[in-house]
Amino acid sequence: MTNDWIDIKNADVVFIIGANPANNHPASFAWINDARNRGAKLIVVDPAFTRSASAADVYAPLRPGTDIVFLGGIINYAIQNKLYNEEYVKAYTNALTLINPDFKGPADLDGYFSGYNKEKRAYDNSTWKYQTEKVTVKVKEKDASGKEVEVDKEVSVPKRAVNLDDPHTVWSHFKKHYARYTPEMVERVCGTPKDKFIQVAQLFCSTGAPDKSGAILYAMGQTQHTVGSQNVRSMAILQLVLGNIGIPGGGVNALRGESNVQGSTDQGVLFHLLPGYLGAPTDANPDLKSYYARFDTTSYWANGPRFFVNLMKAWYGDVAKPENDYCYNYIPKSSGNYSWISLFQAMYAGKIKGLFCMGQNPAVSGPNARMERQSLAKLEWMVAMDLFETETAGFWKAPGVDPKTINTEVFLLPALDAMEKEGSIVTSGRRIQWRPRVAAGPSGAHTDIWILDRLAKALKAAYAGSTDAKDRPILDLAWNYGEDPEPDVWLVAREMNGYALEDVKDAAGKTILAKGALLSSFGTIALAANYDAIACGSWIYAGYFAPADDGRGVWRPAARRRGQKDPGNLGLYPYWGYTWPLNRHILYNRASARPDGTPWAENKKLIWWDAAKKVWTGYDVPDFVPTKAPDAKANPAGLGLAAQSGTDPFIMKADGKGWLFAPTGLTDGPMPEHYEPLESPIKNALSGCQIDPVVKLWDTERGKSIGDNVGTTDKYPIICTTFRLVEHWQSGTMSRTLPWLAELQPDMFVMIGKELAEERGIKNGDMVQVSSARGEIKVVALVTSRMRPMKVDGKPVHIVRMPWHYGWQGLATGDVANDITPHVGDANTMIPEYKAFLVDVKKA
Amino acid sequence: MAKYGMLIDETRCTGCRGCQVACKQWNDLPGEETHNTGSYTNPPHLSAQTWNLIEYKEIDRGGQVGFFFLKRACMHCEHPACVSVCPVGALRKTPEGPVVYDDHKCIGCRYCMAACPFGIPKFDWQKGLLEGALIRKCTFCADRLSNGLIPACAKTCPSKAITFGERDQLIVEAENRIRKNPDKYVNHVYGKEEAGGTSILYLSAVPFEQLGLPKLGPAPVTTLSEQVMEYTLPFAGVWLATLAGLAAVFKFRERGAKQPEIGPAADDPHNKEASK
Repeated sequence: MTNDWIDIKNADVVFIIGANPANNHPASFAWINDARNRGAKLIVVDPAFTRSASAADVYAPLRPGTDIVFLGGIINYAIQNKLYNEEYVKAYTNALTLINPDFKGPADLDGYFSGYNKEKRAYDNSTWKYQTEKVTVKVKEKDASGKEVEVDKEVSVPKRAVNLDDPHTVWSHFKKHYARYTPEMVERVCGTPKDKFIQVAQLFCSTGAPDKSGAILYAMGQTQHTVGSQNVRSMAILQLVLGNIGIPGGGVNALRGESNVQGSTDQGVLFHLLPGYLGAPTDANPDLKSYYARFDTTSYWANGPRFFVNLMKAWYGDVAKPENDYCYNYIPKSSGNYSWISLFQAMYAGKIKGLFCMGQNPAVSGPNARMERQSLAKLEWMVAMDLFETETAGFWKAPGVDPKTINTEVFLLPALDAMEKEGSIVTSGRRIQWRPRVAAGPSGAHTDIWILDRLAKALKAAYAGSTDAKDRPILDLAWNYGEDPEPDVWLVAREMNGYALEDVKDAAGKTILAKGALLSSFGTIALAANYDAIACGSWIYAGYFAPADDGRGVWRPAARRRGQKDPGNLGLYPYWGYTWPLNRHILYNRASARPDGTPWAENKKLIWWDAAKKVWTGYDVPDFVPTKAPDAKANPAGLGLAAQSGTDPFIMKADGKGWLFAPTGLTDGPMPEHYEPLESPIKNALSGCQIDPVVKLWDTERGKSIGDNVGTTDKYPIICTTFRLVEHWQSGTMSRTLPWLAELQPDMFVMIGKELAEERGIKNGDMVQVSSARGEIKVVALVTSRMRPMKVDGKPVHIVRMPWHYGWQGLATGDVANDITPHVGDANTMIPEYKAFLVDVKKA
Repeated sequence: MAKYGMLIDETRCTGCRGCQVACKQWNDLPGEETHNTGSYTNPPHLSAQTWNLIEYKEIDRGGQVGFFFLKRACMHCEHPACVSVCPVGALRKTPEGPVVYDDHKCIGCRYCMAACPFGIPKFDWQKGLLEGALIRKCTFCADRLSNGLIPACAKTCPSKAITFGERDQLIVEAENRIRKNPDKYVNHVYGKEEAGGTSILYLSAVPFEQLGLPKLGPAPVTTLSEQVMEYTLPFAGVWLATLAGLAAVFKFRERGAKQPEIGPAADDPHNKEASK
């Protein structure tokens, strides 16, 4: 979330698209309801009339997989009707920046952007780049004699126009691109009636006014598509255009799917990340220098190399030295995509020997799960760490599987639940809260940290005495979290927070952090002359465990605070826990003020420039250099934020601007363009390019029942999407085993509209067969008016919807929904396309 | 003494069923074995094991479906019919609001079931009469109230659809909400006057009958039930005598049977640990 859960109450319009918080984030409805009590309106856009939709002021249906068209339609509506915040767009986004004159977009190239290579199914993005110009600036340098002199230096900077509609501006391309996303196109592609769409567009665009704010809430309904990243980009762009980023009650708010998934992402559990969103080295970065070159030098990321060194000091202590590039060669360099689908493809091909499954249940949750279960059978060994014997732990005895044919050695390590161990948990709003252990677990079950501590120590013992260079990363690993019976989780917290290994000094030689002291801000790292005297396991968490005032004069580790003061009554509660980064609750909050530093409106004020004190002040911690005046000029030759001006709120971006057009960072285009899901009942109405042109297409075992088959409408005419219920949790491991939850949703089912049920002779409660190109499952039919057929491109289309919680273990059981989902992922992240695929439904 | 109530604002409810689970947890009620028969409502009805139930309703609102969630549990009437029909005084209206029952007095006659206009009291059909089968229903968490805690359902409600408080104040609050948002609500607080008034009050966006709440006049149902009771008391006497006779027969038979081993009953919630 750019904002926070509680901040939803400050919105004037809450727009839920691709999420169902009534089901999956029930506590959020307290804040949604508080906003509604104030008079805010709620919009819900979803293929089904969900429990969230039941509370909506405006509900609009859309066909799964068409969010870019819907959101693009709203962006176009804002442009055409001049409902955007022009001052914001000009000052804070890259709308005025000029793009390479050779750039061409889907409007010119029938769905493609310039630079496409058909053979490689990839883009060369050189034509998407900014135009640059050379400027000469005076910089201080030391001459040969060591004397400081002023010299002229030529620096290249992005070229900006004065007017939005100048040729080659981002805005002119943007306008042309979105002009194709008309209300008529929305109706044709999304199936949303035009008047409903206009009602949504009008209502949400009303938040473009400076005294209004609109929050977008989204979840997996946006991300689990082959165009998932571009769906999210569409929301970010819409919010930038309306000036809804950085202000109370605004933002692009990812409602994370698990209570601590934010925390685990922060710690770098994704294959392409190291902790703190430092990119993971790839084989394109064979040495430290090439890795450092990946960090921008004109944004806050200029400090990235420092943060990396701190991480290596946390992991390798004294062994990490400048002479050995801080053990850079100990970090594996990835040579490809190691995300979920790729991993299971590699496993199926027999390239992976062993698997640790820690609190994961791929036998139920993975796409084309039947194939993924067969992949598990190709392992030599598998370890499952979980609270119960999951379907994954018991894959060898799945229905229809003869255990004698499985050669995988399976270990089940009983683990403890979150309530049974002490530690931190991070909300979607980035608020880190330390929680005590409140219940004893069953005997024989252990905390994850206990298990991992034993494992690390056993590995170190196993390799002890080795002189082989490849074993050094294990032998040199600094592993010191206490002894039996239980490692000390506070020591882990201390390492993540960061502390001084030696006295840390600034450039003037003054000690800014004494040896042994905890970091209270990553600003110390940026200031330090000897920054390699700091060990910090996650720079964004710097300060989260350092002693801090809880607002009542009581000091305790920041994440353990429970102070309830709320300056400004915005619900920021800055003394409760600790919100990374630096206890900032609303990101990019420089944009909560006008370019001149005054609030956009009295009722939306968050931080503002205090001209007398020459400092940014307000209710939140400024996401900006606190003393940088609104009229501060950028120094193009400066490093980091010195290269940005007083009106550049997006400090993590190389140009300090919000990107309506992404010159870099995305594989499938600088602006979101609609492509159909891999399996779709219609031809792409926007262009001749049917699916995202850079999506990786797998063809393992094509033609066989479990293979990577692509369904077509002749056999599978119905659109299917998967969802979650409030009564069950993810793959059901923790909920299908509880009688109180099993009784609420006891059986696997599929939601079918009354019209489809009538066509197929299906009665409510009948058993039905749902089949796709990957196989079929038998489930209960729930016939409902909450699913309606849609008219798409002139044709009627039925949509059905299945929860994916069920498996064969536990009290509430049923067929696995993911047995029939496709093994294909997003063009950028490879997140599986669970939300739109083709099926057929008939009476079983 | 303050008289308590709960205001259930159906426009704020999202049907998450946190209240249904919290009720089971606090009252140590077992999960029932259920099946999906084409509805989210599960278990299908209130029962001796389920005292608070969310019922899901799809209501046509002029071509657009509406999805509504009725929280069904004891209304804790101001003039409870169940109390007035109970021949042994097992049911009682407390001054704080809850209608509670005394297991030691209940004889399992089920008159309260017949009398309740909301169909709330349920009989434990899983037990035979002589195993101490009793009436079960929501107690308004009287045990929590007497210890300064609010009812489990109100405590857990994440969307703040359930407000616990003093009944008089809740009526003022409910009427304020209607006044502030006249388009959002039906202009009526259900329970303010129904059946002589109830502790549980509802606000809704659709007519209450469509949600499944009975249309009742302001007269307490007790007036009617008391009339009925005039005739039933003598009948109850005969029924009691029959029961006593049956009990004697069973006792006589038991004497001949082998005594069961002494040990914790598997279904006794207090013996959960021991029976593992």
